[in-house]
Amino acid sequence: MEPLSTAQIIWSMFIQFMPVWVALIITFAVSITFKRKLGLYGKLFDSPVGMVGLFLVLFWVFTAFLADMIATFHPIEDVISSMRRKAPGTAIPNPDDFGYSYFLLGGDILGRDVFSRMVMGSREVLKIAPAATLFAFMAGIILGLPAGYFAGKLDTILSFIANLVLSFPVILLFFLLVTPEIVNSGIPRYMAGLLFLFPIIFLVILLNSRYYTQPPLRNMLVGTVVVLGGWVYLGLAWDADPLGMITMQGNQLIVFISVVFVNSPTVFRIVRGMVLDIQTRDYVAAAQTRGEGPWYIMLWEILPNARGPLLVDFCLRIGYTTILLGTLGFFGLGVSPESSDWGSTINAGKGQISFAAHIAVPPAIALMTLVLGLNLLADGLREESLKD
Amino acid sequence: MPQREPYDGPILEIEDLSISFFTRLREIPAVMDFSCRVMPGEAMGLVGESGCGKSTVALGVMQDLGVNGRIVGGSIKFKGQDLGQMTLEQLSKIRGSEIAMIYQEPMASLNPAMKIGKQLMEVPMIHEGVSEDEAYRRALEVVEDVKLPDPARMLNSYPHQLSGGQQQRIVIAMALMANPSLLILDEPTTALDVTVEAAVVELVKDLGKKYGTSMLFISHNLGLVLETCDRICVMYSGEAVETGSIEDVFDQMQHPYTQALFRSIPLPGADKNARPLIAIPGNFPLPHERPNGCNFGPRCDYFEAGRCDAGDIKMHEVQGVERHKTRCLRFEEIDWDAPLELAETKTKGEIGDVVLKMDNLKKYYEVAASALFGGGNKKVVKANETLSFEARESETLAIVGESGCGKSTFAKVLMGLETATEGSITLDNKSIGNTPIENRDTKTVADVQMVFQNPFDTLNPSMTVGSQIIRALEIFKVGKNTDERRQRMLELLDLVKLPRAFADRMPRQLSGGQKQRVGIARAFAGDARIVVADEPVSALDVSVQAAVTDLLMEIQRKNKTTLLFISHDLSIVRYLSDRVMVMYLGHVVELGTTEQVFQPPYHPYTEALLSAVPIADTSVEKKHVVLEGDIPSAMNPPSGCPFQTRCGWKDKVAGGLCEKEVPPVRILAEGHQVKCHLSDAELAAMEPVIKIAAE
Repeated sequence: MEPLSTAQIIWSMFIQFMPVWVALIITFAVSITFKRKLGLYGKLFDSPVGMVGLFLVLFWVFTAFLADMIATFHPIEDVISSMRRKAPGTAIPNPDDFGYSYFLLGGDILGRDVFSRMVMGSREVLKIAPAATLFAFMAGIILGLPAGYFAGKLDTILSFIANLVLSFPVILLFFLLVTPEIVNSGIPRYMAGLLFLFPIIFLVILLNSRYYTQPPLRNMLVGTVVVLGGWVYLGLAWDADPLGMITMQGNQLIVFISVVFVNSPTVFRIVRGMVLDIQTRDYVAAAQTRGEGPWYIMLWEILPNARGPLLVDFCLRIGYTTILLGTLGFFGLGVSPESSDWGSTINAGKGQISFAAHIAVPPAIALMTLVLGLNLLADGLREESLKD
Repeated sequence: MPQREPYDGPILEIEDLSISFFTRLREIPAVMDFSCRVMPGEAMGLVGESGCGKSTVALGVMQDLGVNGRIVGGSIKFKGQDLGQMTLEQLSKIRGSEIAMIYQEPMASLNPAMKIGKQLMEVPMIHEGVSEDEAYRRALEVVEDVKLPDPARMLNSYPHQLSGGQQQRIVIAMALMANPSLLILDEPTTALDVTVEAAVVELVKDLGKKYGTSMLFISHNLGLVLETCDRICVMYSGEAVETGSIEDVFDQMQHPYTQALFRSIPLPGADKNARPLIAIPGNFPLPHERPNGCNFGPRCDYFEAGRCDAGDIKMHEVQGVERHKTRCLRFEEIDWDAPLELAETKTKGEIGDVVLKMDNLKKYYEVAASALFGGGNKKVVKANETLSFEARESETLAIVGESGCGKSTFAKVLMGLETATEGSITLDNKSIGNTPIENRDTKTVADVQMVFQNPFDTLNPSMTVGSQIIRALEIFKVGKNTDERRQRMLELLDLVKLPRAFADRMPRQLSGGQKQRVGIARAFAGDARIVVADEPVSALDVSVQAAVTDLLMEIQRKNKTTLLFISHDLSIVRYLSDRVMVMYLGHVVELGTTEQVFQPPYHPYTEALLSAVPIADTSVEKKHVVLEGDIPSAMNPPSGCPFQTRCGWKDKVAGGLCEKEVPPVRILAEGHQVKCHLSDAELAAMEPVIKIAAE
């Protein structure tokens, strides 16, 4: 069969992404219709920058969710050796064995479909980046709140540790963490054991400080968190889920904790700064004069009112994390060699860049557009949250 | 000084000015159909509540409305030239040299990274291209004119090294450097303490006369405008409603809003039963929800349906009086001299037993000189010195003083956020002075509550009004379950006269006065017996102040609450309190019943405070006591009497005793004490500060 022309390639990809387009159109149509009722999210649709950002981000989010419908081949198993380094749009020799007859973006060094790998790669990134950022936020918030609120020695010590972590070269840290000796010594496990504890602590304190006045309700909520959280915690951090349902690959765990570890000090600093500002407000004084405990004041009086800057930083930080994951993948750290994640794909294609650029360029563009989208989204949020 | 061509015509002529702001939802008209004229040497006062568009007019004159604002109609002429037609280049020549503006916050107008001298010298160097030496000479001259001590040193300092009052003087000096024809002052003293404010106002008045500058004085304070201006323009919801000379408007007002405004502010000499405050009903309309016809219609006592809401109302000339106009259709029909209809006279609750007793309370703070590495010298800040007083059931005790006098520290110690260094606080014979709040039992905590100053800060912006009150109920263990608490919360909303529907609203949907009411409801959630009200109305608009004040007093009558009312506004203190305590730099300088404190003999500081309060009544004559300098820092208090650095009576005491010893507490009469060295004869010879001219 004839190879596809450029226009045909673009058209075919457009068709492949159809489920994403449908999802995007529905989301935007619904959001724009009800934008006045949706608070800050709704205001985003007044800012062109925010809309573009949201579009790019949602595009990749939906792609990750619907990847099975979009990908034309299996990203790892469908290897057609005659398709090695073939140009985009090349027809495969045995279309009857597969569901699709073209490698839309060509083949990679081993003869796998670049397009499908790029689509599937979004899953790898979006599986880790938001969750890792969320964990980093939990840790940063849990430590930043008391540092700002109580100040004094606690603040000095925590800030010092944060500075220490921030001054350590990130890449070196990663190399250290994946070194077999260190892995065998169990350090990553213990770090995971510590870092994954923060979300549970966060939720328990959050609920307890609010509902301790109603013990039955409190016991139920806190109990639920401890049971569910503990189950997930055992599975993720110690790979000891009694039901055997929740588990995390060792190398993914390392990537995860490294990302949380290097991100949380920055979050810590932001939260600490916000607390210093907000704790001078009268409603904080009002809470103090009616005898509220410090954690209630921190989590329910101060934190909700710091949400604007934190939300913006959250978006930016997912972007950084995405880049960080790309970097890690590029150095082959923490991911299996076969993985279709964008960083490793770019690395695999880097040797061929002068004669088969199509291997490295698509994942690079994908990475770029996602991060760009996140940054624009953060810009839009920041801009809109300042307006009335 | 640059000499200007004498100009006889009006300096500023605004005709039918309309300014709108454009948001993504709609056009918001901020100023509509506004006209005024300022003649050479004339001072024009622009008065109104927040959001009435007075600052927008000023920005319109400066042609500085930002991206969203636009002049949509009318013209602004400066010395006959239309400012709207000018190019940016022409405008920048006029701004800062012919028209100068002074803003509320002095620090915002000064460059913190530049020495004062350099900032002042820039003005003539840029606008007139004079040499550096000449500019320096002029800067020195102006700084002397604004009565700052040691001008040469002032010029060589950075803005942060000066106090707020000094900074504002520098800003005024900067405005005067160019000898402008028109000076716009946008609430120039709102950020300053009363005694400092009085000195700055005095200065502005003198300088206006000396330089012959025309002034546009924007303020929400009628008293200040009375003291500084020749003419006044009252604004309401984007429109000028009445304009005329000070005497005409103050004594023969021709607009219902002006009348209502005057009736809602406490004037000295009027007692609360004969002349109660009358709050203006309803709320200020939002710019996009203005009613048809007269904007003030829905809140007006003289409203006539079908006429007042029929169509746009123009300004009408008042017959027989020159340049006095009003925007009211019925001004000729209304009997302006009709006596006030007295609301039912309220009987004051019986004052009961002593509830709260402070004895020799002291609060010192240790401040480390270097925060980074600890150690170093420690300084002691004496925030409260030997505070002793009693407060009785259903009594209002006012605590008066300027910033830094220790009233907030006192409140913190009482609430248990800090513990006393020495002395004791007893609540119902139970000592609480050394019990921090986490160790107090629920009852004690619920008994002593606080109402805060800033309405925009007093509620958590992320929680609904109802849930904030319910939270207080939960903490105070009121009600057995959620339903009971919800019921009680609704009753509390009734108590503070807010609709029950407000329970589900977010604080940002409420106006300042409504938020303050929620704050009051929250304070009374646990049936508080002692409520510390920290300037509860000072941040509110005048028309709302009266309503909130009345509410507090009504609740007090009902619940027999002891109210500790912290304020610097002596008019309102006189109106509502039973006893007054005057504080200065941590010391109680005078304590007595309201009558005792407001009549001679005074403590010299009380005298100065009384004289500093601007009073919006043309029949009042005040003795002028202007205090020199600023309040000393509590870090470094003066030796001897704390007030000796600013006291005008110091030379009456022999042997420099004031600088050597802290005066002892002297009992002048039953329940009236003063901390002063003045002899009995001197004290007895004091004249009253406020005199009401015979009518």
